[in-house]
Amino acid sequence: MSEELVDVALGAAEANGIAYADVRLISPQRYLHLAVRDGSASALTSSVAAGVGVRVRTEKAWGFAGTTLLTPAGVRTTARTAVRLAKAAGRRAPEPLRLTDDPGPLNGRYETPLREDPFEIGREEIVGMLLEAERRLHVGREVKSGLASFQAWDERKWFRSSDGYGYRSRIVHVGAGISATAVRGATVQRRSAPSSFGGDYRQAGFEFVRGLGLDAHAEEIGREAVALLDAPACPSGPTTLVLGSSQLALQVHESVGHAVELDRIFGSEAAYAGTSWVPADRIGTLPYGSALMNVAADATEPGGLGTFGWDDEGVPAQRTPIVEAGTLVGVLSSRETGARLGLSHSGGTARADGPDRAPLIRMTNVDLAPGDLSFEEVLEGIDEGVYLDTNRSWSIDDKRLNFQFGTETGRRIVRGELGEQIRNPIYSGMTPEFWSSMDAVGDRSTWHLWGLPNCGKGQPGQSARVSHGAPVARFRRVAVRGG
Amino acid sequence: MPSSSGPGDRVAAAVRNLPVGVSADARVVREVWTTIRFANGRITQPHFESALRVSFRTAEDQRIATATTADLTPEGVAAVAATSRALARVAPREAKFRGFPTDSAPRPAKVAFSRATSALGPEGATRIAERILAAAAAAAPGARIAGAVNVGTESWRVVNSEGLDRSTASSVAQASVLVDRPEKEPPVSGWAEAAHWDAARIDADGLGREAAERMARSAPVAVRPGAYRVVLRGPAVSELLQFLSVLGFGGLAEDQGYSCLRRQRGRRIAPSAVRLVDDPRSREGLPCAIDYEGVATRATPLIDRGIAGLPATDSILGPRLGRRPSGHALPPESPVGEVGPIPTHLLLAPGDASEQELVRSTKRGLLVTRFHYVRTVDPGRAILTGMTRDGTYRIERGEIAGPARNLRFTESILAALKGIELLGRTRSRHASERGGIAATCPAVLTRSFRFTSATLF
Repeated sequence: MSEELVDVALGAAEANGIAYADVRLISPQRYLHLAVRDGSASALTSSVAAGVGVRVRTEKAWGFAGTTLLTPAGVRTTARTAVRLAKAAGRRAPEPLRLTDDPGPLNGRYETPLREDPFEIGREEIVGMLLEAERRLHVGREVKSGLASFQAWDERKWFRSSDGYGYRSRIVHVGAGISATAVRGATVQRRSAPSSFGGDYRQAGFEFVRGLGLDAHAEEIGREAVALLDAPACPSGPTTLVLGSSQLALQVHESVGHAVELDRIFGSEAAYAGTSWVPADRIGTLPYGSALMNVAADATEPGGLGTFGWDDEGVPAQRTPIVEAGTLVGVLSSRETGARLGLSHSGGTARADGPDRAPLIRMTNVDLAPGDLSFEEVLEGIDEGVYLDTNRSWSIDDKRLNFQFGTETGRRIVRGELGEQIRNPIYSGMTPEFWSSMDAVGDRSTWHLWGLPNCGKGQPGQSARVSHGAPVARFRRVAVRGG
Repeated sequence: MPSSSGPGDRVAAAVRNLPVGVSADARVVREVWTTIRFANGRITQPHFESALRVSFRTAEDQRIATATTADLTPEGVAAVAATSRALARVAPREAKFRGFPTDSAPRPAKVAFSRATSALGPEGATRIAERILAAAAAAAPGARIAGAVNVGTESWRVVNSEGLDRSTASSVAQASVLVDRPEKEPPVSGWAEAAHWDAARIDADGLGREAAERMARSAPVAVRPGAYRVVLRGPAVSELLQFLSVLGFGGLAEDQGYSCLRRQRGRRIAPSAVRLVDDPRSREGLPCAIDYEGVATRATPLIDRGIAGLPATDSILGPRLGRRPSGHALPPESPVGEVGPIPTHLLLAPGDASEQELVRSTKRGLLVTRFHYVRTVDPGRAILTGMTRDGTYRIERGEIAGPARNLRFTESILAALKGIELLGRTRSRHASERGGIAATCPAVLTRSFRFTSATLF
């Protein structure tokens, strides 16, 4: 029945005089969220959704409609609504839309390699694992709150377009993490592991969660949260900053990944998410950072949350260099934005977070390449500085220039060695100056592929899961202060 | 509203036919939305969606879990109930849980709802977008225009094994428009937004003109970071209030000890002119009659003449905090639900000053239209950070002296509240996407607001 519905939707769209149509049927879209807080359930939710999304293009405009009503009549109505929207939108459009010419798969297949299907693991086992890890966070009365959480997503998709391309995919993401919140008076300190935003995530099976060893880290995380209550404030002033891998991953996300989304660069997101400091005519020449800076968007990276066979326009997954030796060389593109830029092919980054959303340009796995220094070598030669990791707050302006990040954890660096813990560290800067100040990059042993489950964009809002690989790295004369 | 026969009744039967010792509540939610985005002067992303889903929450021996599905066939409803029960069996006990709300007083009020808005459909929403585009283009020839129109309805029926069976429907219309000149160095921009439960009350032509007229005609100049007297327009005030809802009046923040108001209930946190109420029934906001547990909504004072009130509760957090559910439950399965019950229909009482008078009362300061990318830095002290955007102006000697380049603030909401000196006399409605959190508020003048860095535009 599922495949027949795709044909029904495509047929209904094509019968209404459009130039192009694509249909995504997602069934099922499963989500499992198990979380325990202080020995109680914080979230024990199992969701199953299904729906169809129809996107059409007339000569001048797009139209999109989605529904959960998976009957022939339901999807036919949905397709016609998409056509109505496109025709209405095109009434006053000044010029035709152009798309890149991207051959897609004729009958593609992509599936996440799994050893242990997370949806087949007994819920009792997972909840038991979470309860044990969460219990161990409570190392003292000042740990006011402990949280251990697990999430898994499973999306099975049929894609077909009026160009004759089509594929099926099944993509599974998992992740888990712990956090302890220590409170004394109005002072609140939180420590998370393996990272904030609920932990770490991967396109993988439950074996990834087992490998996180949450319970083994829990007591240490609880103690660190309590210790932060008494830690001295972060020193203020320009200083040498070493960022840990997880914080640097978020820095890449906010100040590189979003800035090179071509829809932002062209102003399509101007009113909401914003635009970009990157001018479209400077791709290939714009200095972005120091010569040590190399960034690529790689949708073929094993285990990445942004890894797939084809994007939601049917464009094959690919690796796109973004910054090479400090110069901007590429951007994240879709078929429409790629054509506008004059690219021969889309970069294949158009993704939707469900059947009821139209694809937008989203990050895939945007990685900062490792350098050749060990962690100790990155610290070497620093008389005074700070080492910061694990995000606590994040904000950046609507052109992705002025940023401010707070981290959960910080240590002084004194004469090349990590010193005492510091509290409420905040660092800020401007994107090109910051990346230009990077003068040491950690090697592969410091590099980690982090999953971010909550990248927001679009109206109506969409939440993308993306990955970022990052090493540790050193930055000079960065504004740092205590919050 | 979900049909009283068919899927809704099927779900109700599943709730009522559970074995002795097992209780449940369920929400049947229907949503129909049209969103028309425009950018670069043309409609770029017209979007329509319709969805019907159920969330089914089971409690057995104080073990609680939720399952959701979009499959409302008899098999789908049976499956979601079974999944919920199976998950509940492995849940840790919620020791203070005393059951789901009963069908007792207060009864849900009749609230404002616009059938015309729910029937507007794709073409109607497109016409609003076209009018905004035309008005903005006429008022600012050659400028770039972007924004969105969002129109739709969400209706939900809540049934539970205590005999409660209640429904509500909420109509929402939102529009926003940005008019900018990106080619200027630095660029200039103007912003306008509106929200209402009746789409006919969205003044599309006026919004387009307002955004165009608010775009600065001269180049924004750099302003040194520091503490300034600040006039915050409605969109900026709304954003701060929405964070205060979570950090100060959220039930989970209170329970977990990180609420910024945890030790200040019943104490003065703002001048007596500051009166903040949560009232989901008010026609001044985006009304709904019940929360997602079926509890009738009502007016709840949050800041009463400057005195901090109590946090929001639901059937989980209420017993933990020793209170009854206050009518602020969110869907238990939603990501928003992870913040627990929060006030979502905020009304800040107006004062008697015009915007001009707010400016006139400021010898040296800034006027801020809206914020961008606001995030919590320190929940216990309610310190936020974020950027200004789309209309930041210098005030000198009680007059607008010209546009300013944008700044980053890092400031406590509590400090901003405490420093309020004047409130505007006119209020505007603002809402997060689809009315998730709505705030109706005036502009305010606060005596000190800390900006910690500046950007280039």
